[in-house]
Amino acid sequence: MRTLVLAGNDLRRFFVQPTPWVLLAALLALLAYFFLLSLDAYLRLMPKLAGLPDAPGVTDLVVLPSLRALASLLLIVVPLTGMRAIAGERQAGTLPLLIASGVGDVGLVLGKFLSLAVFFGVTVALALAIPLSLEWGTSLDLGRLGAAGLGLVLFAGALAAIALAVSSFAAQPLAAAGMALILDLALWMADAGARYEGVSSSFLNYLALPTHLEPFLHGVVASVDVVYFVLLAAVALALAARRVGALRGSG
Amino acid sequence: MSSPPLLRLSGIGRVAAGRNVVAGLDLALDRGSALGLLGVNGAGKSTTLRMIAGVLAPTAGRIEIAGRDRRDDPHALGRLLGYLPEQVPLYGELCPEEYLVFCARLRGLGARQARRAADMAIERCGLGDVRGRLLGRLSKGFQQRAGIAQAIVHDPALLVLDEPASGLDPLQAANIRVLITELKAERAVILSTHLLPDVQACCDRVAILHRGRLRYDGPLESERGFLRVSVEAELDTDTWAKLPGVASAERSGNGWRVQLAPSATPGELASAIVSRGYGLVEFGREHAGLEEIFLRIAVEADVAEAA
Repeated sequence: MRTLVLAGNDLRRFFVQPTPWVLLAALLALLAYFFLLSLDAYLRLMPKLAGLPDAPGVTDLVVLPSLRALASLLLIVVPLTGMRAIAGERQAGTLPLLIASGVGDVGLVLGKFLSLAVFFGVTVALALAIPLSLEWGTSLDLGRLGAAGLGLVLFAGALAAIALAVSSFAAQPLAAAGMALILDLALWMADAGARYEGVSSSFLNYLALPTHLEPFLHGVVASVDVVYFVLLAAVALALAARRVGALRGSG
Repeated sequence: MSSPPLLRLSGIGRVAAGRNVVAGLDLALDRGSALGLLGVNGAGKSTTLRMIAGVLAPTAGRIEIAGRDRRDDPHALGRLLGYLPEQVPLYGELCPEEYLVFCARLRGLGARQARRAADMAIERCGLGDVRGRLLGRLSKGFQQRAGIAQAIVHDPALLVLDEPASGLDPLQAANIRVLITELKAERAVILSTHLLPDVQACCDRVAILHRGRLRYDGPLESERGFLRVSVEAELDTDTWAKLPGVASAERSGNGWRVQLAPSATPGELASAIVSRGYGLVEFGREHAGLEEIFLRIAVEADVAEAA
């Protein structure tokens, strides 16, 4: 209950501040620009594609690149949005208010996570509306778009949990954003070397974010990928809760 | 068997970076009383209050609130306790009304209850004129009052205030003292300050902390025997001693510090001074005793340590 109150208050504070709005608007503007570029390229290619048997359709050539662009943008936007989660409370001196209320370490971290999750749920939904607009003129693979949406929400959730964990360790929000960005990029590129060498089933591949996001974008919802994102988020949140407990012990 | 006190600290201590910030502290506090925690900067006042509020974990000892251990049920204790930290915990992007509703709900009040509680706290702390303005844009005085409103919004039984009058002008500080005096009627209040007048104005008990140890814990009542008197006429000690009801008198500043005989009342002395035409200028209760205790403790400890 108090967790929900905390999440609600965080969301309210999100939306009375300019920064989240600006980030959201910038993300959607960049995405729209990218989408129009892909659409333009597709329209030029279309006459040639028409002659090919089994040619890639609009979902492959326009929607998929847009969703990949969204994933890359989330890598940057999530750390910037989540950086204040706990570091900001520490800086503003409001953390004692939350701790003294008896919400508990886990409740506090879950509340913070919930507000970020709702924010990015909305972000992903708005971003998906851009490729969805093509449904007007053509027929899209809606099942695939749905799977991609689920994948992106899980992806954003895992990134949000990482941002939250880093934010609990950093004393300044900006330091938290920087650290979370580096961590996200490291997870994003973890298997780049392995893939370059042609290895695609190593532990490093399992560790990397794209390994688990790509199947969703291709319309495949596999439990291994769902478990990966949930596990990542759970580990990050548990670390954050432990850290909040330690803050009480160490002042 | 009598019920346990609202707040009981038994031997609590806190070690940080190998230093005893607070050590072996015992205190008990009941409803209807206000305890002033006095000490110089760095004496361990804030650390003690943060441990009571549950923001900091003690490294030794037990904290019991209404007979329950602090660690056992933080959820329920959050409802029992109101806390104003040294740095007022405000969200600058919210207005007092939104903020107080949030604080009340965070302490477990329902939505409608929280709204009513916020209205009451706004009225009690005089925030009515600024209820719709952003907290971040308010003056220091209003921010401090919003911080106090936050501590009392859920009607806690125990109020922990860390320097409630800091940054306030004298008029606001006086208002806060009146508010605390009102609040202590049905609650227990513990407040820290390094200003003696704060303690004298609204506390009935004082505890003096020095270097993390409790050096004095007693009622303010014991100061009652002394009066502070100044007169226009030039008098000497003998003249004072001949006045009715005077046990002893000594010069203190530009007035006199007079101790009354056990049976005498201040009124008798005042009328005696007036009837003799000494020109009464000032007549009041002397609180310098507390200041003396405070300074003696601070100086003694430093001397002992230097030796």
